[in-house]
Amino acid sequence: METPNAIEAANVSFGYDGDLTLKNVSFNAGQGEMIALIGPNGSGKTTLLKLLLALLQPSCGTIALFNLPLSSYAPKERAKQIAYVSQQPALSFPLTAFELVALGRYPYASRLGLSANDKTTIEEALERTHAKHLSARHFSTLSGGEQQKILIARALAQSAKVVLLDEPTLHLDLRYQLQILAALKGLCTQKRTTVIIVLHDINLVSMFADKALLLRASKLCAFGPVKEVVTEENIKDLLAVDIKAMADPETGVRYFVPRVPS
Amino acid sequence: MIRTHLLRWIFVIAFFVSVLLALSVGPSFISIFAMSETDKIILLYLRLPRVLSAFFVGGGLALAGAIFQGLFRNPIADSYLLGVSSGASLGAAAAIVFRLASPLASFAAVSFFAFIGALAALALVFYFGHSNDGFSIFRLLLAGLGVGLFLSSLVAVLMLAAGEELKALIFFFLGGFSSSSWDTAWISLACIPLAVLAACYFAAELNVLLLGDETAESSGVRTRRLQLIYAVVAALLTSISVSVAGLIGFVGLIVPHMIRLRAGADHRTLFPLAFFVGGLFLVLCDTAARTLIAPAELPVGIVTSLVGVPIFLYLIRKENSSYGL
Repeated sequence: METPNAIEAANVSFGYDGDLTLKNVSFNAGQGEMIALIGPNGSGKTTLLKLLLALLQPSCGTIALFNLPLSSYAPKERAKQIAYVSQQPALSFPLTAFELVALGRYPYASRLGLSANDKTTIEEALERTHAKHLSARHFSTLSGGEQQKILIARALAQSAKVVLLDEPTLHLDLRYQLQILAALKGLCTQKRTTVIIVLHDINLVSMFADKALLLRASKLCAFGPVKEVVTEENIKDLLAVDIKAMADPETGVRYFVPRVPS
Repeated sequence: MIRTHLLRWIFVIAFFVSVLLALSVGPSFISIFAMSETDKIILLYLRLPRVLSAFFVGGGLALAGAIFQGLFRNPIADSYLLGVSSGASLGAAAAIVFRLASPLASFAAVSFFAFIGALAALALVFYFGHSNDGFSIFRLLLAGLGVGLFLSSLVAVLMLAAGEELKALIFFFLGGFSSSSWDTAWISLACIPLAVLAACYFAAELNVLLLGDETAESSGVRTRRLQLIYAVVAALLTSISVSVAGLIGFVGLIVPHMIRLRAGADHRTLFPLAFFVGGLFLVLCDTAARTLIAPAELPVGIVTSLVGVPIFLYLIRKENSSYGL
């Protein structure tokens, strides 16, 4: 028997007549795939993520999560299947990193507190994001990169089979960017988690993602394996920049070098 | 661990000592170990309802503050800044002036109209603080300030138009617990424990809301429903407090703040602690208010501000870093 797709979006649009922020987008996300959403600012990437999370309702089209309509899930049941890392939220209260990650266990929580299983899951999430040593620290005292690791660990603690991330590498130094993407990639290959991630860095897409979904002006311009759709020509078109692709002779990974606009 | 345990015992002991002190001192000193018949009557019909009222009102104000701060993810939100107290005052004042209820004969009716006023104020704050892309905390607080000022002006207008009810109104707004009796105490005894239970029951969900509406929603929290529940609970706490004791500032602001610094932001521990400490704080302030210049009484709101403001200023000076403001 074939395993079902994690997400099937068919002809999804969002917005009001004449002012659509997403037009007729269709794509399938298989289990264990890492899919990068790329496109210029305002092209509808965050809108698409919010539709997949049922934070927004499509004005037409359908979205299925593991073969069932997304709208048929109760909130907690949905949260067990799909988790979200938004662009950094402001947290103005003193919570420790561990307490924050533990919030990810909410869909499973009993009012009696954390079970042994909850604790193992939280520890594992912290380990995956290389953040175990931070667990007793107060979240607000952490650096931007450390905070991002904790926020991602919170989403992982939700034990969802699909994880959506909105620019998780923003404001991070290169080492943390690579660490976080490697951790997410590990989740895809080891646990067959589907990861859908908004990224601005085309090189990170090229290095880590299995597939890419290119959005421009609210429309899907290409969707497919990175090797096929993340090409010099497509990226030039998509981002309206002069860019040159070069292949790493050892790994074959394609890298993109922008040119100074003339 | 040892420190938390020690702290817990200190709290329990402080509670009993304060209550004992509050019951004993006053125009006549009563030793509960050797009471005359008169002492018993004073204790049962004057001091006990007064101490209980102060405890529940103080706890209610602190809990309402803690709820608003969690709901709006902002450490300076409270019933006063959000205009909810003004709404409750207006409701109560309207009830008195228009003789919908007289404060002594049908105290429950005054509380009821205060509750309606508090809910209406919150509805206005949400309406004006709302924008197309959800709630901006900053906008909500500004809306709260505006709504609060406007409703306070309406209260002033009502006072001018009050005529012969003016005396009752002034007496009502002077507040404090000097007129506490079982007639006024029972309503806080009946309503506030219910509100405390509701607040504690949903505390885990409010924790998730600290991460923002969208993240909370994606974690399975029904955020709109949760916000509605807590808005009603906090409005109830505020209106009962206002109708029992008038306007008492700073308890709702400083008590949750102090507890968060010591015990963290987890609402499951914050709510019961805030209620308990807020109650204790007001019992002590009220005891001071009625003994410091005896036989006259200080308004208890003055005592809470005199004690509370310096503590508050000291805390924001000392702990400004941990709030990320």
